[in-house]
Amino acid sequence: MVALSENVALASRPAAARRTPGGLADRAFRTAAYASALLVLLVLAGILAAIAYGGWPAFQTFGPGFLTSSAWNVGREEYGALVAVIGTLVSAFLALLIGVPVSLGIAIYLTQLCPGWARRPVAMTIELLAAVPSIIYGMWGLFVFAPLFARFVQIPVSNLVEGLPVVGTLLYAQVPSGVGVLTAGIILAIMIVPFVASITRDMLDQIPTVLRESAYGIGCTTWEVVRHVLIPQASVSIIGAIMLGLGRALGETMAVTFVIGNANRLSASIFDPGSTIASRIANEFNEADGMQLNALMALGCILFVVTFVVLIIARLLVRRARVA
Amino acid sequence: MDAPTPSAPAPQAAVPAVPASPAPQAYPAQQALPAQQVLPAQQAWGRVRAGRRTADRLLILLCTAATFLGALVLGSILLMLIIEGLRGLSPALFTEVTPGPGSEGGGIANAILGSLVMTLIGIVVATPVGVLAGTYLAEYGRTSGLANLIRFLNDILLSAPSILIGLFVYTLMVRPMGGYSGWAGGVALAIIATPVIVRTTEDMLRLVPGALREAGAALGAPASIVIRQVTWRAAQSGIVTGILLALARIAGETAPLLFTALNNNSWFSPNLMGGVANLPVMIYQFALSPYENWRQLAWAGALLITATILGLSITARFFLRGVKAR
Amino acid sequence: MSATATAAPVVGQSRADESAPVRLAVKDVNFYYGDFRGLKNINLDFRDRQVTALIGPSGCGKSTLLRTFNRIYSLYPEQRADGQILLDGRNILDPAIDLNELRARVGMVFQKPTPFPMSIYDNIAFGIRLYERLPKAELDDRVEEALRKGALWDEVKDKLRQSGMGLSGGQQQRLCIARTVAQRPEVILLDEPTSALDPISTGRIEELIEQLRSEFTIAIVTHNMQQAARISQFTAFMYLGELIEFGPTNRLFMNPAKRQTQDYITGRFG
Repeated sequence: MVALSENVALASRPAAARRTPGGLADRAFRTAAYASALLVLLVLAGILAAIAYGGWPAFQTFGPGFLTSSAWNVGREEYGALVAVIGTLVSAFLALLIGVPVSLGIAIYLTQLCPGWARRPVAMTIELLAAVPSIIYGMWGLFVFAPLFARFVQIPVSNLVEGLPVVGTLLYAQVPSGVGVLTAGIILAIMIVPFVASITRDMLDQIPTVLRESAYGIGCTTWEVVRHVLIPQASVSIIGAIMLGLGRALGETMAVTFVIGNANRLSASIFDPGSTIASRIANEFNEADGMQLNALMALGCILFVVTFVVLIIARLLVRRARVA
Repeated sequence: MDAPTPSAPAPQAAVPAVPASPAPQAYPAQQALPAQQVLPAQQAWGRVRAGRRTADRLLILLCTAATFLGALVLGSILLMLIIEGLRGLSPALFTEVTPGPGSEGGGIANAILGSLVMTLIGIVVATPVGVLAGTYLAEYGRTSGLANLIRFLNDILLSAPSILIGLFVYTLMVRPMGGYSGWAGGVALAIIATPVIVRTTEDMLRLVPGALREAGAALGAPASIVIRQVTWRAAQSGIVTGILLALARIAGETAPLLFTALNNNSWFSPNLMGGVANLPVMIYQFALSPYENWRQLAWAGALLITATILGLSITARFFLRGVKAR
Repeated sequence: MSATATAAPVVGQSRADESAPVRLAVKDVNFYYGDFRGLKNINLDFRDRQVTALIGPSGCGKSTLLRTFNRIYSLYPEQRADGQILLDGRNILDPAIDLNELRARVGMVFQKPTPFPMSIYDNIAFGIRLYERLPKAELDDRVEEALRKGALWDEVKDKLRQSGMGLSGGQQQRLCIARTVAQRPEVILLDEPTSALDPISTGRIEELIEQLRSEFTIAIVTHNMQQAARISQFTAFMYLGELIEFGPTNRLFMNPAKRQTQDYITGRFG
């Protein structure tokens, strides 16, 4: 009887006595988190909207011809994107051409060849390359690399190919100063290497040990294991990593501005100066107004579309690559 | 080193018939069966083609060379900064403002302070937004469609060209406010820092075991209290790492500051309106200038900023290692 | 556990041929993981065209021993072995041995199926091409022969160009066996080849091993004593890095000489 009455007493205790701690604060916190997350969405939309808004007059005035015109004449208010677009694409392409094999080599070295004790310091060295600010790469490219490049590559190669068909124009430097589209490509290559190499390394590390062992187990050499088993196994993510590098190369500004020469004409030679979308914006934006400003914004718009398509593809391929 | 003839005998054909030897009855442990005839190898050794060996050696050589090249570039950059930068280091560097064109001497005190102020604004704005957004992704949104979309866009923002962010903030703030300002610079840096913090926060919160959350919830604590007092605390050092990484990322950013804070060869006004001196843009303008003292200052600034950023990155990495080891 | 695992081991499907010549002789082998000694003075012979099972509790060193026979351990710099392992009279622990070639002579099948990221055909042809340059028609024949020996041909003959990763787990494991067989190795090492498979697939692999015995010297590591009893002619029982007892399977299971062996096979530990 006693127990029973106690039960009754318990049951009849008013429920109102218990209140959820911080009910309001709980909701407020949740809302704040939600709003912050939405802000990310908003910022991206804002970037597109702001640049499209700024570039709209240029697109309206020049129409589709903006993309195909190589004019860039401030005095006559004639603007076209072709030179900058080609410069951007060519320098980024050169960056991939040089950077991807080096990145793969580093990733393979780190995962397959490096002795255990050296792995951490070597990996750290490569990752620190990613931390060096873009402007420092620009200074290094202009003051250290370009003179060496002019002396040991541009001048000998120009002398060698002079007068030859195709290579005679492609690899001939009229003014062998060391700066130019190829120099920009090389500096960009150095800048994308740490990103592509770290992601590729992570992807190779994720391949189950047993797959690697069984490839060695049928008598493969390291080269054959890498070439026929590891790289194909990680191919999708590696392509994603390369696209991510491409995204960086396309939008990189300061380093390119230092070493590309900022010439406003099309040249068939990759030794000659050129310009990219980003370098042109960096060079001219502060002194620009009127239609020139709109044209620069329109260039930014093109850069936005191109890099974002590349980055979207990259992110779809490398699901959740690392942050740093 | 040639491949064996295509008509290599099947293995069984190569095994000669072996005369039986008397079968022993018992074998003590740790002893092999009685020794018997050794079989001849079925195929001669030395079947690895020379081409395969060469390819393998070439791979090892090239991969090592690629890694060496990476280290060489880093070393060369550091060496350049040390040689050129040390010459410019002096007390005046930290006390005097940047000199005007053609004037002698000068320091970079205004640029250092300007960089500190704008980086601080950037991090102060980005940290709450980034941590909360990361918390939303890891704790509330998880795998919902919206969370996946935001996660995806955040990853894209993470590697978006920073010059576009400069253009965005120019349109958003510089034009409406009628001029360059440190605020605009700070906001541009915040936009660059936020995705880094979002990403690391989410990753670190995901490392917190679910049982910890359940234990908190089982005490009747509402979600926000569990998150703030249990999950965040468990992921503390990981979140700090994210903030350090974001700091390292924005401290050297130049492109977005060009159109937002620009630069200024004097002390900036306390309300941060008008051009605010900062290291990256100062370096950009001075390094390419014809004045010897400007270039000297640019090198000194480059050394300072790189040393700071590499220091931050190394610290962040050691932090991160601690987190992962746990 | 396998499909037919029952309380009492079924022993001796086929009797051990104690007069078979020695294909692989292990002499005084020690193995080290850094400072830890994982194998202690192992002496053991593997006879031609016999299945030898290595049994023992987890961590007893049976996989470690198997991994010395193709020196796959040397992928890891902190692991090393000393002593002698004679393959056809030649010491494979000799540093001068070409590891790639050794591994083509001593094939290995792993615990988990490991199809390579290529077509079924190429999974088989890849290993052959490494060591032999054959005309297309002959290569086709070799692939077919290997897939037949792997008891997989009928299931895959119409989809040779499809990826090997699309096969079921049991089929993948048979593909891996076929891949090994295709290289015409002298010895085949099987490291718990059925532990990731369902009972039916396990049964098929066991039948396959019995067939392969007519051509190859086989060493198999297994967790499963019934499996060892069913498919092997010789059994080695290992414990804490030492070889406790070795002999024909039926004798070792029916009449173990050592107390530890007896305890293990009757399930008192391990």
